[in-house]
Amino acid sequence: MFSDLKILHTASALARHSVQRHGQIAENIANADTPGFKAKDLEPFAQAYAKSQRAEMEAQRSGFAQQAFRAEEIKTGGVASPDGNTVSLEDQMTRSTAAVRDHETALTVYGKTLSMLRATLGRN
Amino acid sequence: MNPFEKISAAATSGMKAQAQRLQVVSENIANADTHGYQRKLVSFENVYDRGKDLNRVEIGRTFLDQAPREEIYDPSHPFANESGYVVMSNVNMMTEFADAREATRSYDAGLEVFRQARDMYSSLMDILKS
Repeated sequence: MFSDLKILHTASALARHSVQRHGQIAENIANADTPGFKAKDLEPFAQAYAKSQRAEMEAQRSGFAQQAFRAEEIKTGGVASPDGNTVSLEDQMTRSTAAVRDHETALTVYGKTLSMLRATLGRN
Repeated sequence: MNPFEKISAAATSGMKAQAQRLQVVSENIANADTHGYQRKLVSFENVYDRGKDLNRVEIGRTFLDQAPREEIYDPSHPFANESGYVVMSNVNMMTEFADAREATRSYDAGLEVFRQARDMYSSLMDILKS
């Protein structure tokens, strides 16, 4: 069962993705009233993770060090206000809450896996 | 760079800009009845911080609103000009309060993001503690 601790890898990738996403949303909210600013968001985790898996496999083949998990920015495409700003605070709050929830999920999975490992070693 | 630091930096830059904007709004409101006062306007600029890979917001130049000021005919007034008109300010309370409300709303959003980042960081630390 624990021969390959891929779950830890996936959970930490989700944690990193959600924090990075939260950072992107923080930038959007900071620029909520900047004329001409376009709101951005990261691509969904599943997509970004699949991409990073492929990149890592290639990196291992060519002998490079493991690449940092990196998601690409995509346009959210909301309705622009007269000054060209596309940030909607309500939309951004929804997204930031989703990012926080993802982070919580990732950490819970990570923590629970660790405690399961500890249980198999007979410790608490 | 620690991603949590990045979130705090972005949220703080937004809150700072909004607070400065609110300061200008309050200056305008305070001078609403000052004769000849031109209301001030702040401009927000998106600044890319290469070192931190971060899109911060900064207050750019402060402009004076060139909108026409109201002139009232009152020859007995001490500030009346040769033709008997007194120049008022071009501050519109409605605009100022709308501006103040928008600044407060964006400030609150920044604060909420800051809180969320703090909570995320502390739950990450809890994993290390357990």
